[in-house]
Amino acid sequence: MTLIGIETFKTFRRWRTYLGFLAVLGAVILLEVIVKLNLAHFSQAYARGLSNEFVVSGNIINAWAIAAFTLNSLYIHVPFLITLVAGDMVSAEAASGTLRLLLIRPPSRSRIIVAKYSAMMIYTGLLIIFLAALCIGLGLLLFGTGDLIRFQVMPPQMVILPQSIAVPRTLLAFLFAILAMSVVGSLAFLFSTMVDNSIGPIIGAMAIVIVFTIVGTLPFESLEAIRPYLFTTYMDIWQLPLDNPVNWLEVLKYALALIGHDALFFGAAFFIFVRKDIKS
Amino acid sequence: MPETILRTEGLSKKFGQRWAVKDVNLEVNKGDIFGFLGPNGAGKSTTIRMILTLLTPTSGSVRIFGKDVRRDRHEVLSRVCGIVEKPDFYIYLSAYRNLEVLGNLSRKIAKDEIVSALEIVGLASRANDKVKTFSHGMKQRLGIAQAILTKPDLVIMDEPTSGLDPQGMKEVRDLVLTLSRDHGTTIFLSSHLLTEVHSVANRMAVLNHGELIVQGKVSDLLKGDSSYYSINVSPQDRAVEILKAQPWIEIVSVANEIDIHIDSGRAAEVNRLLVVNDIEVSSFTAKRTLEDYFLKITEGASDL
Repeated sequence: MTLIGIETFKTFRRWRTYLGFLAVLGAVILLEVIVKLNLAHFSQAYARGLSNEFVVSGNIINAWAIAAFTLNSLYIHVPFLITLVAGDMVSAEAASGTLRLLLIRPPSRSRIIVAKYSAMMIYTGLLIIFLAALCIGLGLLLFGTGDLIRFQVMPPQMVILPQSIAVPRTLLAFLFAILAMSVVGSLAFLFSTMVDNSIGPIIGAMAIVIVFTIVGTLPFESLEAIRPYLFTTYMDIWQLPLDNPVNWLEVLKYALALIGHDALFFGAAFFIFVRKDIKS
Repeated sequence: MPETILRTEGLSKKFGQRWAVKDVNLEVNKGDIFGFLGPNGAGKSTTIRMILTLLTPTSGSVRIFGKDVRRDRHEVLSRVCGIVEKPDFYIYLSAYRNLEVLGNLSRKIAKDEIVSALEIVGLASRANDKVKTFSHGMKQRLGIAQAILTKPDLVIMDEPTSGLDPQGMKEVRDLVLTLSRDHGTTIFLSSHLLTEVHSVANRMAVLNHGELIVQGKVSDLLKGDSSYYSINVSPQDRAVEILKAQPWIEIVSVANEIDIHIDSGRAAEVNRLLVVNDIEVSSFTAKRTLEDYFLKITEGASDL
């Protein structure tokens, strides 16, 4: 077993890890069944934003529309599920005393922290892939396929993506969702190296995500200057591939900002962990 | 000359303004069961944590197998097993899985090796039970199974019998002796329990207030200028009266035997005093336990 294998094995032997998957399973099934049962009403509501300039007829709710809608849960719900595990990666071992056990074995601290971070990333990736597979799979089953019609925020306009384009773009959106969620995971992971309890990193990371999101959306000019420095500004990167046309330069800018935050948070976690005195 | 397995030089650790450990120079030789004694708060755990790289020393160095433990960490720690304070394991994993995970951090471990280690410590029948169902004593035994599994040359144990009942303490002591005798493992055993060290260790060091007071062979350190004696006499009441009348004799306790404390070299005088007063002396034994010695050199640390 490699070190990453050991850390991943440990992560997936804890029931807490499956809370995220269970929550996603429950939420997606609930959402899609409710939409299915109220399809006419939901179609009307979905079309309301689009129908100011167009007359929309027929069913515009399909697997791709449902996937685009579900991706909005990435603002709060999924980050919470990510922090549940990421915030626990180091702190839980410190609290239970197994960190001592780990750090007196031959692998260096730098290898251990990289392995733990990798396991956290694997969890984040698998959770988003599970979300994607479930909402697209169930969406196809319940609503079928078709073109993706959605309202684009910037610039505000209705977007129609033919099915042949909607499929790869939706998959790309989920791929970017993994990147966005990895930053939340990295932040919780950083906090996890600082303390010996799991609650602090989870609450700390979620508080920052919520505060940054609020600051990022408040319509005050005075806040404009700090928005580029908030990682939450770039977290809705998943929306960009669903625009038409896609501003690839913007996608690159967002992706680099998120990768930069990942590197920053992990770098800080690495620095703290390799120098940490284990007193407990 | 015995081969030195573990050597600390000027090892010190300061927390804030307080020196937890100051200028500790230890030497553990190959094959030793080395008792590391000291009252609670003496700095034993801090020393062990520095040896095992959990804490960074403020100054000084640790060399194990002749190599710097921080610089040659992988090579050194591949041959060392540490059990630091509580035997903490992944409680959501079985005993088998714990050993698999922890063993593989040192080297590739075969299934048979894990089963064999569990058999030696008497946990084979609980191999697939989650550790959260284990008692404290079982976790200690699992810790020793870990030591057996990775076949280390040096095992460092910090208070291994802490929190165990007498039966559990005996089991752990026996396993320590097994490791030493059957596997040739050098044992570094910290404890604040004097009897524990006395019963297993051949060499020892005593730490108090973060400073090393003494180290050497247990037998040499206890030989010294013995001044405690146990006397078996008849009639005992009369003997006590005679002894009490002498200001230079301190009666420590009276039970089946009379324990006395006298200046060095006056034992014969006591014996003569009893005999001339028609007291039958059936035994007169010099008594110097590790506890006496320890109390003397640590100036009666209160928590022993």
